[in-house]
Amino acid sequence: MSHVLHPPYYEKNVGPHGKRLVEELIAIVREMGDKLAARRPDALVVIADDHLNVFSFDAVPAMCVRIGRSVQRMAQEGAIEFDRALDGLAERYPVHEVLANRILEDGLDAGFDFAASWSAPLDHAFLSPLTTLYGDRPIPPLVPFWVNCFVQPLPRADRCFAAGKHIARVIRDGPWNVALIATGGLSHFPELSMARVGTSDVEFDRRIVGWMERGDYTALTALSTRELHESGSHELLNWLVLMGAVAPARGRVRFFGEMGRIDLAAVDWPDA
Amino acid sequence: MSRYDLNVVLYRLKKDRAFRERFKHDPDRALADVDLTDEERDAFVRWNPRRLNELGGSLHLVLSIPDLAAH
Repeated sequence: MSHVLHPPYYEKNVGPHGKRLVEELIAIVREMGDKLAARRPDALVVIADDHLNVFSFDAVPAMCVRIGRSVQRMAQEGAIEFDRALDGLAERYPVHEVLANRILEDGLDAGFDFAASWSAPLDHAFLSPLTTLYGDRPIPPLVPFWVNCFVQPLPRADRCFAAGKHIARVIRDGPWNVALIATGGLSHFPELSMARVGTSDVEFDRRIVGWMERGDYTALTALSTRELHESGSHELLNWLVLMGAVAPARGRVRFFGEMGRIDLAAVDWPDA
Repeated sequence: MSRYDLNVVLYRLKKDRAFRERFKHDPDRALADVDLTDEERDAFVRWNPRRLNELGGSLHLVLSIPDLAAH
């Protein structure tokens, strides 16, 4: 699902149309949260990207598993407004340490050279969807999983998909009731040097959402880094990890909104 | 591939308030010891976010520097 669920941001940058669309999306995400909470998951694997809040140019992992016992909310002086909106939230969240370690260690055994972090905090990409889904309910233990969606070179789409298949294997082999959430997108913020800066790529977004509905994972995993870059859809790499875990099930589009600046979506996979 | 030195400056501008204030006060001096091309240095001194992005600066850094964001 999209991960900036903050109406004032859209009202300021898009206008009343943007605010209305994101409020509709938030209502849908809350409904999805009711169903998710009713399933009482033991853990939530949350797949999202870093906006150079957590990692720096000293080292940017292609994929990183957050391990340890708990994870803190990012605190940053002068943060952009949808990160500042997190200021009132809980400062610390539990990590499902055993599941996180299994995903990491079994991943290395299986040929996935995941990075591990004991200290990376969570920004809006994790906490905006999670707090919208859960509201005042306690959030289950997390396994935060980062994908490098922005600092070239990026992991390939099919590699992200394969990582998702690995996560599903670990979950299937374990005793836990686990939900997966992937956040980001849809298309937005192509590079400032491009002619259509500040606009989304509606045609691209319609196409990929259609592929999710049809379960066309061959088309989705064939997307090139160049296509993701030019459409501003880098964050689809997070979704591709989730799709690797739920394939061959078909996605059900709960919300798709064309905003002009960014297109918004919420999709679930009820048959996975 | 992203340009390391250019992005390190952007990252410091985002995360290091004292460096950011020095840069806003006197960009030439703040960048005196940084390994940048003339083109990169000029884009910083004139504060041209679009040019910095074209030269390999991360979009998310350009967009999120307090008081200088091109958002």
